[in-house]
Amino acid sequence: MTASIVVEHLTRRFGSFTAVDDVSFEVGRGEIFGYLGANGAGKTTTIRMLCGLVPPTAGDARVTGHSIGRHPEQVKQAIGYMSQRFSLYPELRVGENLSFFGGAYGLWGRGLRSRIDEVLELVDLVGHEHDRTSDLPGGMRQRVALAGAILHRPAVVFLDEPTAGVDPVARRRFWSLIRRLSAEGTTIFVTTHYMDEAEYCARVGLMVAGRLPALDSPAGLKATYVPGRVWSVQGPHLPRDTRARLSAVEGVTEVQSMGAGWRVRTEERVQAADLAGPLGPDAVATLDAATLEDVFLAVVNADAQKAGTARALGGA
Amino acid sequence: MTVFLRRAAAMAHKETLHISRDAWTLYVGLVLPLVLLVLLGFGVSFDLDHMPLQVVDLDHSPESRALIEDFTAAGEFVLAGSLASGDEAAQAFAAKQSVAVLTIPEGYARALARSEVATVGLLLDGSDGQSAQQAVTRADALARIASLRSTGRAVVPPLAAATWTRFNPAGRSALFLVPGISAYVLALVAVLLTALSVAREWERGSMEQLFCTPVRRGEIIVGKLVPYLCMGIVQVLLVLAAGAWVFGVPARGDLFTLGLASLLFMLGMLGQGVLISIITRNQMVATQASTMTSMLPSMLLSGFIFPVDNMPLLLQGISHLVPARYYIDILRGVLLKGNGLSESLFELAMLVAFASLMMGLSLARFRRKLA
Repeated sequence: MTASIVVEHLTRRFGSFTAVDDVSFEVGRGEIFGYLGANGAGKTTTIRMLCGLVPPTAGDARVTGHSIGRHPEQVKQAIGYMSQRFSLYPELRVGENLSFFGGAYGLWGRGLRSRIDEVLELVDLVGHEHDRTSDLPGGMRQRVALAGAILHRPAVVFLDEPTAGVDPVARRRFWSLIRRLSAEGTTIFVTTHYMDEAEYCARVGLMVAGRLPALDSPAGLKATYVPGRVWSVQGPHLPRDTRARLSAVEGVTEVQSMGAGWRVRTEERVQAADLAGPLGPDAVATLDAATLEDVFLAVVNADAQKAGTARALGGA
Repeated sequence: MTVFLRRAAAMAHKETLHISRDAWTLYVGLVLPLVLLVLLGFGVSFDLDHMPLQVVDLDHSPESRALIEDFTAAGEFVLAGSLASGDEAAQAFAAKQSVAVLTIPEGYARALARSEVATVGLLLDGSDGQSAQQAVTRADALARIASLRSTGRAVVPPLAAATWTRFNPAGRSALFLVPGISAYVLALVAVLLTALSVAREWERGSMEQLFCTPVRRGEIIVGKLVPYLCMGIVQVLLVLAAGAWVFGVPARGDLFTLGLASLLFMLGMLGQGVLISIITRNQMVATQASTMTSMLPSMLLSGFIFPVDNMPLLLQGISHLVPARYYIDILRGVLLKGNGLSESLFELAMLVAFASLMMGLSLARFRRKLA
């Protein structure tokens, strides 16, 4: 795998607050790399450092071979960036926004014109060139922003929560675009807090309080952090004390209320009958798939425990 | 270099679109200057006419009535009534019935007839210094006319200064004020508009997007300034044309000097606007800072209304830092005195220095970083 982004011990402090704490990882060329984490976990600071907007306090990163600390200008020419707030000018038309950002990357004249036509085609906005950007619905605006970020054919595209506030249909459409870019060899670095979106990523890094405790493919993360089985327990007449009864079953590790039923995590040896049995004749337990949300909660809990232990040890 | 021009051109084009789409910017840039010029031009006037005058005539003679006639004939004073005695003057002033009370003592006509010195009293409301001073000047002149008529010859003092006023012989304050108003309006509009336009980019987050592109600081600043500079040139032409048309301000001197000075002054003001917004990053604060640093000094410390030579030394010192002062000097010189380049070199140099300082500070303070 040729690495398109190499991050080594990247750290950023704001005063006494450490926003990003000794983070290291690599992203391969053409990979879709997801960066997951709660608000304030350090996702945006990481992306801003990788784009040359915020200098690192310690450590370094190379984006397409250029050091973000020493050659931020080369980095800027090689990347596209779509920030959390779509940074389009609302009073400009779609075409005017694109030709401005093209010009900002040094494109001009006929080359710029034909490239604008190309990206409009790619993001499926042909015919909207003369629409005022403020009049477009969120999903379309977001595709204009993406078009603006790829005009200069960057090798790496950074997307900071690109789908925030966009409806599910538009999100799906956006992600098919992202996959297309990736298939053509563009490296995608995307932050999100939609767990279902993270499933689209080849690999996912989980950020907790500035650190990166977990990094793997979605399947790998689930195998590591959500071992055992996940069950869905349902039935028309579940008893009032279902939670207590399920928790009492040998091998059950976690019971969560989920809609009309329950979501139960157990050890590998637990069978469907072990769960349904204590709940009466109409209860049904079916095997369910672990989600990245399970992973996220497990990682956050493990991290909190570790921090608790560290504090206890420090106090002793 | 070509890449620089291309990126700066992209910035400038975008900025032009912003300006052309924003009714408020267009209003502030092109209409407000004219509105201010007309309002201030007519409103701020030192030419006093129709000052209400009350009279205490204790002589009741044809001569005393002739004197009152003299006072009110030219229109500077209008007769606002008679008082029985000078003691009522305080009341009249308090009620704002008049600004001056003329007292003609008993025996006025008799003194004139005997060719003695006839004294009349003029009591003034000093709470409005401007009016009081004008009244004194006018009364003095009127007394001289009256004595000329009664004696048939002018009183010839042993030494007389023969004075005449050049450049503005009628003493019309519009001629003196319009150049000042132009500078004031240009300063306000240029600083405010650029400050807001850059601060808006910070607030919207588009500055962050710009910093992620290879566009450099200089390109952003040039791209921001060029459209506003063009707008400023239109402003200067509009304001000067309106000054000539509405107030009859002449243009006697070298128009090249005028154009050069306007360009340098605008550059300085635009640079100041950019600097303010780079520091404040916020439209609200930028507005306040623009007003404090451009409008007030341009009005109070530039010689626009209050002559710099009459200020306390400290303020005179500060006024040397106000570019409007130099611009107003050049404008008055070129428009009224017929000055050219050679008379304006020092002021032009000061404008260059101010513009360079603002641009330099802007570049130095402008970091393409968010933290």
